[in-house]
Amino acid sequence: MNRYGPFNWILLILSSLVLLFLVAPLLGMFIHTGLGEFFETAADKEVQASIWLTVWVSFSATFLFAIAAVPFSWLLARKSFPLKSVVQGIIDLPVVLPHTAAGIALLGFISRDGILGKTASAFGLSLVNNPAGIAIAMAFVSLPFLINSAREGFAAVPERLEKAALNLGASRTRVFFTISLPLAWRSIMTGFVMMFARGMSEFGAIVIIAYHPMVAPVLIYDRFSSFGLTYARPAAVLFIIVALIVFTFLRVLSEKRKPVITKSEYAES
Amino acid sequence: MLSLKKISKKMGDFHLKDIDLEISEGTYYVLLGRSGSGKTQLLELIAGLNDPDSGEIWLDGENITHKKLQNRGIGLVFQDYAIFPNMTVFGNIAYSLNAGKADKARTRERVNVVADNLNISHLLTRSTHNLSGGELQRVALARTLITSPRLLLLDEPMASIDASLKDGIKRLLRQLNKQGLTIIHVTHDYREALSLSSRVGVIHNGQIIQEGKPEEVFRKPVTKFVARYSGIRNFFRVIFRNTDGKWIAISENNIKFNIKGSFSEGEGLLLLRSDEIRISVDPPLESSNCLKGIVKDILPSEYGMEVTVDTGEIFYVDISAETYKQQPFSELSEVWIEFSEEAGIALQGQ
Repeated sequence: MNRYGPFNWILLILSSLVLLFLVAPLLGMFIHTGLGEFFETAADKEVQASIWLTVWVSFSATFLFAIAAVPFSWLLARKSFPLKSVVQGIIDLPVVLPHTAAGIALLGFISRDGILGKTASAFGLSLVNNPAGIAIAMAFVSLPFLINSAREGFAAVPERLEKAALNLGASRTRVFFTISLPLAWRSIMTGFVMMFARGMSEFGAIVIIAYHPMVAPVLIYDRFSSFGLTYARPAAVLFIIVALIVFTFLRVLSEKRKPVITKSEYAES
Repeated sequence: MLSLKKISKKMGDFHLKDIDLEISEGTYYVLLGRSGSGKTQLLELIAGLNDPDSGEIWLDGENITHKKLQNRGIGLVFQDYAIFPNMTVFGNIAYSLNAGKADKARTRERVNVVADNLNISHLLTRSTHNLSGGELQRVALARTLITSPRLLLLDEPMASIDASLKDGIKRLLRQLNKQGLTIIHVTHDYREALSLSSRVGVIHNGQIIQEGKPEEVFRKPVTKFVARYSGIRNFFRVIFRNTDGKWIAISENNIKFNIKGSFSEGEGLLLLRSDEIRISVDPPLESSNCLKGIVKDILPSEYGMEVTVDTGEIFYVDISAETYKQQPFSELSEVWIEFSEEAGIALQGQ
């Protein structure tokens, strides 16, 4: 025991305190939730619908916005342009904004008087109190996670690999899809999972745009404010468990990367 | 074939200045320079990885200065090979063919042919992660050669491979050149230049300071920098004098060299190749330049032995191991050195 000096002991104690601070409330919540209450909540159709809504809307928002955000991240990693630092600041803005303020800002944008709301209502779609509005709110607050992670991933791909591919006659698009994207894949997937997770856990912006249909964080809040802690707790536990399962699955999936041309494809060719 | 006209490019503190270069079809051109001399930058401008600030690049009568690098038909093998780590060896070599959407059977056939030529057929299904430097280099070369480039650019191709593999690579490059491929090969090693090139350019501080056939460049270096590059170690700061129609060079330590050629009076440098100096224990019978000195040091060198002789000036003399065995001198022995009038290389205005 004397091998460790006082500095190491202090580090150990401080680290343990931080970990305890993070784990204790969650653990307490799990301990205080009885199995009977838990299964009753899990069977509740309203809770099931809410969790499902949260998962699929957050996934769709992440997926759809990734289509534009990933190439944008490449641009940020590779190109210099005027006011680039301002653009980078704008990307990080949702992280520092109070999320209710973000919700208010978005509401002005997607309500019937806003530009996007007007356009959507021309097609007979109301974004307020609609999964589409929820997706926009989720994406607004969580996009920086995907963009920043993907940008770092692209920046870590040696530029000469892209140039070597161009030198071999490949188009810019082909280089992007065969070199840049596969090599930055891990960071992009990390960003994807982070954005998805942040979208799922969003409350502040969503509650202003769409109280109904209820996403899980709104449902938990609704149950807490209407019926109290005991009633909200099993729903929170269930949501956390589902979220953990989904993230673990996505993490495992993102670890698997395949070469563009595999041995079997070579044998077939 | 390739023509560079007044190419300039500023990159940070570094500046390629007004580079003019003509390379004809079938030439094996070696661009020789130290790291940071601008040789790689020049290669990347030719390949189109970067655009020059000014000047023009012409290839086969076409101005390609601002042509997309995908369409230049110039193959570049990077110093670090730039092998795609997310593909197999086959995937790397076939990459350019897939760009043209060639059919699979034809792709495989072409990959097999080029892999056979480079002796890497057994690697095709392998991932690129565990390949040796020599293997990676052959994969990079195969990947470029399969595009049938009009011009092949090689950036320090011998830098990261074992000495034992260098001869094989040299043979291969010579063979490619004999088949008509024009090659520009960038290196810092003058021995590579000597053994491969049909023309040599020496680049220093962003400028090509000497250019010509390798024997011309190495026999008659125009600057001290080129001379150092060509392995010359005997440099003497001298004053050139004409006495009675004959030229002599007098060193700072008052050693007189008889030299042949046409010079102008004044200061300069006199260079002497180490292998042009003969050494013996007995005084030579007849010689235009003959000096007595003391052996200071004897060290093994790549030619055999390098003997350091102090005659008032320090001389480095290369002799073969065989000759050394026959000579009865050792350190601190008194010896004679001699060299012909033609051996001295004069650099004036240095």
